[in-house]
Amino acid sequence: MSTKRDAILARIRDANSGRTPTDHPGDFGGWRGDAGPATPLQAFVSGFEGVGGEVVFVDSEVKASQWLADFAKPFTSVTIGEGVSSALRPDLPIALPRNAPLAISQARGAIAETGSLVMDARDGRRTQLLTPTHVVVLSPENIWETVRGALLTLADDLPAAIGLHSGPSKSADIGQVMVKGVHGPGRILALIIGCAPEKP
Amino acid sequence: MTQSTPSDYREASARSLRDTPSVRTSVGSATRTFDAHRVSAFSEVEYDRWKDWARDTKTHALTHLDTYLAQASAQLEARGVHVHWAETAEDALSVLDEVVERHGIKSAVKGKSMLTEELEVNAHLETLGVRPIETDLGEYIIQLLGEPPSHIVGPAIHKSLDDCRALFHDRLGTPLDADPDTLAAAARDALRAEFLAAGLGISGGNFLAADTGTIALIENEGNIRLATSVPDVHVAFVGIEKIVPRFEDLAGFLQITARSATGQAIGLFVSLIQGPRTPSEIDGPKEVHVVLVDNGRTRLLADDTAWEALRCVRCGACLNICPVYRQTGGHAYGWTYSGPLGAIISPGMLGLEKAMPLPHASSLCGACVDVCPVRIPIPDILLHWREKAVDAGLAPTGETFGSKAYAGLAERPASFAAANAALRWTPWRAAGRALPILKGWMQERSAPTPSKKSFRQMWKEGIE
Repeated sequence: MSTKRDAILARIRDANSGRTPTDHPGDFGGWRGDAGPATPLQAFVSGFEGVGGEVVFVDSEVKASQWLADFAKPFTSVTIGEGVSSALRPDLPIALPRNAPLAISQARGAIAETGSLVMDARDGRRTQLLTPTHVVVLSPENIWETVRGALLTLADDLPAAIGLHSGPSKSADIGQVMVKGVHGPGRILALIIGCAPEKP
Repeated sequence: MTQSTPSDYREASARSLRDTPSVRTSVGSATRTFDAHRVSAFSEVEYDRWKDWARDTKTHALTHLDTYLAQASAQLEARGVHVHWAETAEDALSVLDEVVERHGIKSAVKGKSMLTEELEVNAHLETLGVRPIETDLGEYIIQLLGEPPSHIVGPAIHKSLDDCRALFHDRLGTPLDADPDTLAAAARDALRAEFLAAGLGISGGNFLAADTGTIALIENEGNIRLATSVPDVHVAFVGIEKIVPRFEDLAGFLQITARSATGQAIGLFVSLIQGPRTPSEIDGPKEVHVVLVDNGRTRLLADDTAWEALRCVRCGACLNICPVYRQTGGHAYGWTYSGPLGAIISPGMLGLEKAMPLPHASSLCGACVDVCPVRIPIPDILLHWREKAVDAGLAPTGETFGSKAYAGLAERPASFAAANAALRWTPWRAAGRALPILKGWMQERSAPTPSKKSFRQMWKEGIE
């Protein structure tokens, strides 16, 4: 193996010999230059809803628990992420992610710039991916303004995998017609425990 | 469908236009939609500034490629990943032999990856007795049809809704008038069972961050997240040019790629993979292999003009805007990578003799360079390969003859004037169709009638 490695690296050095090495251009800030009038929370909500994600605001964990109990009623079972507070578990039988119609996960945070939920492998990857409906619990203090800001923080504590989930699963591969819920959840809700912001 | 090669381009493109006019309709419609989304997505951001950043970051990475690959490899190994270095497709495929045997793999679920198409991973898996299952909806469609992808982002854009209805009716038993939601649901059900049964997940890699060893994957369906999360073993094939220096650099590349490809702010699902599951994780693959693939990339890197093509992020924007690609779709190009991108990397990766005449599959209009998010000078590289082809005696004979004849005439003023007059007075529409050199050219083109007076004559008489 190491001989192939050495051969490839030698060919790269040979190809690059006589070529002036260039510098890294520096940091990638954010797309828009500045965040504009929107707060990170407002920007996240606007981006996430803009691609078909749903957002629910509740002002306390008690209210979150009540909302979840109500929301979970039509479902027959649930799968729950490792990091979800036990106070939030609805009164439903627990099922394997492959069999459950509903999942509740805990987000590590969210990104305003792209409207993304940051999902950590330690919360359970199958729970994040296999059910048709996915409710993601999010604390509003964990919202990064930019993807770069999120990555800089995440780099200090990386699990085996991070998923950025920015809306329901979609595809336009069949005759260029958009369909939802192809493989991942077709319905994704961010359950934000905190005050709803004013519209920007 | 028989697989063509780049050298069949002229016949394959003519056949596509003549025999399957629906391909042109579907491809034209899809590429125009992709491009309109791209235009809209970049109207709201500082596109030029970020194109410069993306170009400069990739150029920096390429000029330090040995250092960054070594760094990425060390990071991956520190996280328990098996790192393999593959000089050729055979080297890369042999990684699967050992994995398949040791784990007794019967089926493998795949995320969309152009590199695995290039390496012909599916055919190799079949020789090992493993059933490969493409899980991207577009890839699934063309796998059922036994066709290669025709576009690097939308592999089945050459198929219409009616084509898909007929196919799914035949293979999955859906009604002939089923709507797209019904078709997608049928595919989801069929593929869900495969995800849960497969012992192996296979992916490519959009980017590889050197400082953390992170493999970044972009998608919209969630199938790549599933293929890299559910099976016990994950093998990722990554081209050596996919390196970016820092984890934080992914912020720029994830966004510029999504906006260029589909006009989205970001792919709906992004995977950032560091390695196999850790003790604090309840699921995810127990074993991860990363195969770093050369297969012609260092050969392209050695070319002092064409090496810039290695900056490519595979967004497909140059295919979507290309007036030539829009006519035929990707199959005519006879290789995994089609359109302007395929035309500039194939001579470097496959060798010029195998890639001809792809550098000629362009009108040099330059639309591609305007949309490229990493500012690859595509027309310059096309011209570079054409010049190399002439030097190597590989250019079309008519063109070589024409260039030499012109050079000879231009050095002899009297002959030049005589030839000039002859061309202006020749009934050349009729004559051209009779000549072997001009015949093919004139079948598809018309040209204005030449002026009866030459420019030199008008100059002497005094131009106003």
